[in-house]
Amino acid sequence: MLYTARNLRKIYGERTVLRIDELHLEEGIIYGLLGPNGSGKSTLLSLLGFLETPSAGTLWYRDKMINNDPKILLSLRREVVLVDQHPILFSTSVFNNVEYGLRVRGIAREARQRIVEESLDLVGMRAFMHEKRHQLSGGETQRLAIARALACAPRVLLFDEPTASVDVENQIGIENIIHTVHQEKKVSIILCTHDMLQTSRLAQETIFLFDGRRSASTHENIFSASIEEHAGQPWAHLAGDISIPLNTALRGPVKMAIAPNAIRIMAEQKDMADQGTLPGKIMQLTQEGTHIRILVDVGIPLSVRIKKQSFQDAGICIGDAIRVQCPPHGIQILGEDQAQRVPR
Amino acid sequence: MSFFTDSFFSALTLMRDLDPELVTIVGVSLKVSFSSTLLAAGLGIPLGFAVGIKDFAGKRGVVTLLNTLLALPTVVIALFVYSFISRRGILGALDLLYTPQAIIIGQFLLILPVVATFTLSAISRIDARYRRTAMTLGATRFQTALVILREARFGIMAAVVAAFGRVISEIGISMMLGGNARGFTRTMTTAMALEYDKGEFVLAVALGMVLMSISLFINVILNVIQGKGNA
Repeated sequence: MLYTARNLRKIYGERTVLRIDELHLEEGIIYGLLGPNGSGKSTLLSLLGFLETPSAGTLWYRDKMINNDPKILLSLRREVVLVDQHPILFSTSVFNNVEYGLRVRGIAREARQRIVEESLDLVGMRAFMHEKRHQLSGGETQRLAIARALACAPRVLLFDEPTASVDVENQIGIENIIHTVHQEKKVSIILCTHDMLQTSRLAQETIFLFDGRRSASTHENIFSASIEEHAGQPWAHLAGDISIPLNTALRGPVKMAIAPNAIRIMAEQKDMADQGTLPGKIMQLTQEGTHIRILVDVGIPLSVRIKKQSFQDAGICIGDAIRVQCPPHGIQILGEDQAQRVPR
Repeated sequence: MSFFTDSFFSALTLMRDLDPELVTIVGVSLKVSFSSTLLAAGLGIPLGFAVGIKDFAGKRGVVTLLNTLLALPTVVIALFVYSFISRRGILGALDLLYTPQAIIIGQFLLILPVVATFTLSAISRIDARYRRTAMTLGATRFQTALVILREARFGIMAAVVAAFGRVISEIGISMMLGGNARGFTRTMTTAMALEYDKGEFVLAVALGMVLMSISLFINVILNVIQGKGNA
């Protein structure tokens, strides 16, 4: 087993940002770490990269329990390299940046030259070898950061949203690099992203995180809402005059997720306002295999996922006015710390 | 106006002919200033680095103290050092008073907070990702520290240059601890003050021009290095 974690906690001040009860990651696999902002993905990567130590719990790397011995942590860091979301390059040439990991390991000059060239070749940046860092674009910086990590010949590569700040062309290039590295170098990869499509393209296994905890699936359409009762029916008030009915004994402020697969889309018809539907407009359509993802503006953006056949039957297109219905069974309450439970 | 132009051209002649007295005074000034700057850099850079990089109880207090020491007048430092190295002081036996070493000690105390504070400020401005990047690439703690120092190098160089500028132009310490002994502890600033008292402005103007030239030269060098670093 590459990593095993048990009761892993990371606490900053009084805030617990990560609480993983159990985690097992195998060697040689690309893992996708999915979750919204603030779900603890980057914190988990920092722990797996031995850049931070857990506040509590136990972490094993290749069946060895990790302690805080600086020498052991250094030797582990030389096997696991993290590529940041916004990588920073040392203020020197491209060559010196890629060479850095080799120099700190005491690799001989001739070998360093060869490895740097190979690593730059792998990311298609050999022509930039003698450029200065500030002459590189965002995408080139990201690719160079990958080359710099690859030069260290890591056993594990951790990517923190590697394509979050690059254009589509570089995104495709970086995904190809990750795929090639995994195939050719047999490197284990843990890829943190909030792009589900990217995860489905690259990862063999997916781990979902929400609010610092592991979750069975990724949560989408997450809103802070206030549950209030009107005419004996609880309604979740999302924003402005946007409210949806739900079945719950909770009242007060909550955090909730609306499953995109559960949302129903209907053509705009008269007298539907009282039926718990929301008026909206179709903003974006994306194909996801056998499904179509629809971004609907109901005053707030709402992601809906329907079968391709249902989409064709509905005969809708971008800009159409529609109505969406969020059935109570598709609504999950995620955070209820400040809510009160009332007897049913 | 003619007084100034006369003094100015006579000063240029002194400089062109490398007047022995002028050369000696400039030599003493440079020697003590370089020595004190070197010592202050040797201690101030690690001190500023350590305070900047580490989080410890009382850090704000240390930073406040260093900032306060920036405003310490030269005469106060001179008095403080005097109390130690005068014949009645605990270091009186070392016979340091009115020697270049005494000036160096005083100037060292004057600019130690300058180097430490400016270094601390330069280190604090360095992006935390440098540290994290060096660590994930397998650097030891020392190697990580070198990366941070390297990235802060221009700020640190500016700290050293500012410190040198402070000591080469100060007069209180040189006068009170050096005694303005001709050919021994007479620095550019003490000589200028003496010449002014005597009503002799030619040497004073010449020394002023040398002082400004040295300052200009050092800043030009710093700018060139910074320019190359950014290129």
